[in-house]
Amino acid sequence: MVSSNANAMGIIFPNSYDSLVPELVSKRLMASIPFASRYRMIDFLLSSMVNSGIDNISIVLRQNYHSLMDHLGSGREWDLTRKNGGLNLITPFSQKGINVYSGRVEALGNILPLLHSSKEKYVIMTDCNIAANIRFSDVIAAHEKSGADVTVLYFKADLSSRASDTIMDGGEFYYTLQLDQDERVNEIHINALDIGVQNQSMNIYVVKREFLITQIEDATVRGLTYFERDVLLPKLSSIVVKGYEFTGYVALINGIKSYFDENMKLLKEENADALFSGNSIYTKVRDDNPTRYTASAKVKNVMAADGCVIEGTVENCVLFRGVKVSKGAVVKNCILMQDTVVCENAAAEYLITDKNVTISANKEVKGTSSYPVYISKRKIV
Amino acid sequence: MEKEMIAMLLAGGQGSRLYALTEKLAKPAVPFGGKYRIIDFPLSNCVNSGIDTVGILTQYQPLVLNEYIGNGQPWDLDRLHGGVHVLPPYQKASGSDWYKGTANAICQNISFIERYNPKYVIILSGDQICKQDYSDFLKFHKEKEAEFSVAVMEVPWEEASRFGLMVADENDKITEFQEKPKDPKSNLASMGIYIFNWDILKRYLLEDEADPNSENDFGNNIIPNLLRDNRKMYAYHFDGYWKDVGTISSLWEANMEVLDPEHSGINLFDENWKIYSRNSGMAGHHISEGAEVVNCMITDGCKISGSVKHSILFDGVTVEKGAVVEDAVIMGNTKIRSGAIVKHCIIAENVTIDEHAVVGAMPTAEEKGVATVASGVCIGKSAKIGPNAMVRNNVKDGEEEW
Repeated sequence: MVSSNANAMGIIFPNSYDSLVPELVSKRLMASIPFASRYRMIDFLLSSMVNSGIDNISIVLRQNYHSLMDHLGSGREWDLTRKNGGLNLITPFSQKGINVYSGRVEALGNILPLLHSSKEKYVIMTDCNIAANIRFSDVIAAHEKSGADVTVLYFKADLSSRASDTIMDGGEFYYTLQLDQDERVNEIHINALDIGVQNQSMNIYVVKREFLITQIEDATVRGLTYFERDVLLPKLSSIVVKGYEFTGYVALINGIKSYFDENMKLLKEENADALFSGNSIYTKVRDDNPTRYTASAKVKNVMAADGCVIEGTVENCVLFRGVKVSKGAVVKNCILMQDTVVCENAAAEYLITDKNVTISANKEVKGTSSYPVYISKRKIV
Repeated sequence: MEKEMIAMLLAGGQGSRLYALTEKLAKPAVPFGGKYRIIDFPLSNCVNSGIDTVGILTQYQPLVLNEYIGNGQPWDLDRLHGGVHVLPPYQKASGSDWYKGTANAICQNISFIERYNPKYVIILSGDQICKQDYSDFLKFHKEKEAEFSVAVMEVPWEEASRFGLMVADENDKITEFQEKPKDPKSNLASMGIYIFNWDILKRYLLEDEADPNSENDFGNNIIPNLLRDNRKMYAYHFDGYWKDVGTISSLWEANMEVLDPEHSGINLFDENWKIYSRNSGMAGHHISEGAEVVNCMITDGCKISGSVKHSILFDGVTVEKGAVVEDAVIMGNTKIRSGAIVKHCIIAENVTIDEHAVVGAMPTAEEKGVATVASGVCIGKSAKIGPNAMVRNNVKDGEEEW
């Protein structure tokens, strides 16, 4: 068989780390949080998978997933409307006595029949709190070559600043890895307080499908919940878990502040280039007209999607599709999501406006760099 | 299954007066308005008017156009029954023919039309920028109980002799057709958009085909024949935006009019009448710290560090620091290097304007030329391209072309 496709299936957990960004997920989930002017978080890893030849991708939904279903549709924009495989949305059953899953083990336990019936050799699992452009074909090749049972992607993260503003309730974890010289994982630390540059796990795993099935069946029987804590950690000496350092650009969302910062970082050309210069990132098409800057527009350091009309002053901002900034309005250091309207002579600074927010004429709304103000969907200020 | 009306879109034209821009692609595939191609307008009009079956007649340089249309999905024209079909000339048992004229192109595809057994057929032109509701046109056609209707625009009397003119009575019934007459009797110019009752169209196509002296053209043959037979022919008045972008200067002008929707009437920002196009899939555009962006349209993938005024930039255009772009139409993935000056011109796709090159000039009283650079060309460092130049080949560093 001609094989341009990777011999792997993808499994995406769109709800992981929802609790870190309660504002943004009140009407959506991590996967459908708008990011980088025209994307949703899931676009990055979904596109990475598709670009690596993975065309059987399951999304294991947990809750608040209407916006994601709307975004993904039939998967056409990601070239995932396939006869075999393609995009597979797995909604939770609402059955008495069955709760929505809380950890990966439960989630995978629910889809064991799918894992059994799939034909791919490998499974790639990921969350959606990371925007990165990853060549999974390279990861799979490294996994095959190393002979590991499990390969986990990690990146070098400077945790000195991050540890302090990570909220650690709701059972959300971040993991750091201790590796030996062969990149074998010796220890996995959960919510470690070590500061400095650490090997932070991206929670993206490559594993043989058969191996995963065995592990999950075993863990389900024993009533375990979390893949890292309950499955990998106790067995680090008996199964070979190897690290794969991802050296590309990583934007990781773990709170409203990091959401703000990671968007703003993309205003630096080298960062945007690092994230976008590889393979294309696909997203839902909205058929907006190009963005129009009128004669009165003053624009500096802005990333903007199509469909905006800019008549006022905009500096250091990320504008999503369909944003309007009227005459005399001054917008600085803001993230304005889809169809936000800033009316005449309004002033906005350090805001994150959700979709369809209106800042009325002559109003002044300001946050600060350490505490950007979030304005929720459809609110009129 | 029967369709009430299907569309046949004439897209075979070379657009020879666009010269370098249509060397490698058909005129309907020429980029327009920042993220569109000309054919997006009639296709989007069809979908927005409720027409879900469109045959596109191609002939000249069809590769780009075919690839662009694909399965029609961007226009929602990927349908189980109907949808968009590209119809090139084909070989028959009796031999093969190119499309000899507009009427012949339709005539060779009678079997395509008959698959849908339509009551009406609308003939569209793939080289006009126009937002038009064809369902309103059809309503007119039905109300008049017409057998043939043509969409007409009122043009200034002094320009009337450049057009095909319909002379109509007070009930809009057409009494005479004048092709580019010296003494116009009417100022109603045909837009080249026709609705026919299918039975009538078929009969006249076959009759015309049998005539060895015919040019097989709608304007020169079919319409005069209909008039000869006193068919029920009506003129439908259209007063929206319509532009034939057949020349470099009209293409440039139409692009500039997009920048001024309040006055020009070509509003691409209409939520209720979207113009669809195939998506470039690039990231959002970026305007950097030192850039100046005034009165322009910019789309995905652009990176602007220089000064851009009153211009239209297509996807993936780079304007480096110190470069100046004014009154320009810059098509996809073109790079304007630092210090380059680009004014009053059309630059096609994948062009590189190297450092300190000068392309075009702002118009003066005696000199109003729109410099044109063909796709894939590289204009070398400090090269100069005059306002009337039509650049088809690379220009070396320091050289001049006028």
